[in-house]
Amino acid sequence: MEIALQQLVNGLTVGAFYALIALGYTMVYGIIRLINFAHGDIYAVGAFLGLSMYGLLALLHVQNAILTTLLALIVSMGCTGLLGMLLFRVAYRPLLHARLSILISAIGASLTLEYGLLLIYSPSFLVYPHLFGRDGPAFAGVSISWLQVLIFVSSIVLMAALYTMVHRTKTGMAMRALAINQDAARLMGINVNRVIGLTFFMGSALASFAGVLTGLYYSQISFLMGFLIGLKAFTAAVLGGIGNIPGAVLGGFLLGIMESLAAGYYSSRWKDVVAFGILIVILVVRPRGLLGERVVERM
Amino acid sequence: MRNRFVIGLLLVFLVSVMVPGAGAQTGTIKIGVPVPLSGGNAKMGTDIVQAATMAADEQNAKGGVLGRKLEIVSFDDACDAQQAVTAAHKLVDAGVVAVAGGYCSSAAIPASAVYHDSGVAFVADASSNPKLTDQGFENVFRVIGRDDQQGPYAANFMTKNLHAKKIAIIHDNTLYAKGLATATQDALKKMMGVQVVFFDAITPGEKDFSAALTKVKSLKPDVTYFTGYYPEGGLVCKQFKDLGVSGKLMAGDANNDPTFIKECGAASTGVYITSTPLPQDQATAKAFITRYTARWKQDPGPYSALEYDSVGVVINAMQRAKSADRAAIIKALHQTNAYSGATGKITFDQKGDRKQVLYITYIIKGDKFVPTGM
Repeated sequence: MEIALQQLVNGLTVGAFYALIALGYTMVYGIIRLINFAHGDIYAVGAFLGLSMYGLLALLHVQNAILTTLLALIVSMGCTGLLGMLLFRVAYRPLLHARLSILISAIGASLTLEYGLLLIYSPSFLVYPHLFGRDGPAFAGVSISWLQVLIFVSSIVLMAALYTMVHRTKTGMAMRALAINQDAARLMGINVNRVIGLTFFMGSALASFAGVLTGLYYSQISFLMGFLIGLKAFTAAVLGGIGNIPGAVLGGFLLGIMESLAAGYYSSRWKDVVAFGILIVILVVRPRGLLGERVVERM
Repeated sequence: MRNRFVIGLLLVFLVSVMVPGAGAQTGTIKIGVPVPLSGGNAKMGTDIVQAATMAADEQNAKGGVLGRKLEIVSFDDACDAQQAVTAAHKLVDAGVVAVAGGYCSSAAIPASAVYHDSGVAFVADASSNPKLTDQGFENVFRVIGRDDQQGPYAANFMTKNLHAKKIAIIHDNTLYAKGLATATQDALKKMMGVQVVFFDAITPGEKDFSAALTKVKSLKPDVTYFTGYYPEGGLVCKQFKDLGVSGKLMAGDANNDPTFIKECGAASTGVYITSTPLPQDQATAKAFITRYTARWKQDPGPYSALEYDSVGVVINAMQRAKSADRAAIIKALHQTNAYSGATGKITFDQKGDRKQVLYITYIIKGDKFVPTGM
């Protein structure tokens, strides 16, 4: 029982990272039907910017772990968000009406970011400071740290905030309008490019949040760190129903738990085979994903 | 008619241009060094190139070989089979007379076939998978030990020194890690009252191995042996301690790097590493370390001395053969007899493996690898 609970916690932790990244995929897809292949690398950029910020604060002798982490998160999320907007402006906006070219442009953007990080930072692994220990809530012999709690809670809170924003605010309404029909939205006086830019900003900021937390939790980052997790997060978004915000989080958690159970009760070597096998079955039964809706009701 | 004449002229021109390029007996003597210069193992690659450059420069200061200067040519193999083959072709095309280097077995083994086809000697400094020399290529040598030597050594250490009865083995499905894991398992199976309770792989490039480690925890092993590379090793170490897995953690020689300790943090204290001795623990390497540190302003990496010796035996072979001809170098390498390098005496056996390899176990204390037993 203890082991089963521990595997659940392991799965939820990995799943929360998938969920945070999947939100970015799903929002961009929901609005402009683009699979933003560079999204995983945006996550990596966020992690590196966070590390730079820790380095800078250490130089300025700011020692408080919570204060430095907050500053690193804010600065990294802000800068990465702006990078996401820049990416849209440079690589995607001119190609919005060329379906295939924009995909290739996304792959190009992904490689540019990866190897840009390699050149600017380092080809090898970088190590985050060990700031937070292993203390956590005591819970039935299961090992949980406060950092894991934070990762899990923040993924839920951010999803809820995003959902409320999309469904309760004017900007959100503009986003939904855009998702249904871009031209009609433009005729209604919506500034299409501004709204898409904002979507990129929010998705990228969320990815950067996940990036900094990855550094803090696993302590190791590298320029290629976004590739594999980007693929998994994209899978999670599809599993939950791409374009659907709660779906992305549900898909993330589900994929994380499936992987963890497959590794724990079958074999770690086979965990991707098992997890993705189940995924194929789910998609065959529900082609639009678990919470996927009819096209007009995205987001 | 006229066309044929023009083509004929062109051919004559081409041949006259190409011939001196192919058979150049003047200019520098090139030695190839294929290593990972990108990806997770890039640091090891840099260490290796620095050691090779130093070996060549020192020889050049003494007047080079056969009156010609040595030149180190290096290409990135990224520890990847395909890139390694590309790098191997590039080295052969660049006209190297021999190759001394390599890091990952999964890159070295496919590349060795290219060197074999081109008749170029390949002295591996760090690739320890048995298959490399078991292929029967007469041009392949190595100055490091084999995993089927390290495996039994590790099995012996955990049962005799650590008195382990239940053992978990984790690899990462790469050629090197799986080979070492299998060799260790085979050795353990021959021992009485010892049980391998877990034998599975994690995925390199991922960061969360807690699911596999939770399973290990439930099996309560006395020793867990990780045979992959240090980028994942540091994470395994951290998560092993975080989850409170019982017993001791041990890791193979690819974890013998300070980054392992940095990633794992304070939890790395008490972790065992099986390895060939680091340069600083070998009497023969003292002078090498002094020169390396002075030249590169940093400590030598775990494979620097081995690479220094790889280039050393190639130079030695050229001097004995009095030739920089590819075939002559291979022949002379086979006759290498007790070459005294920074890692001790080097003699190759029939297969090209080094005779008498030493293994040692380190224990991590603070931020240092401390030798604990042979």
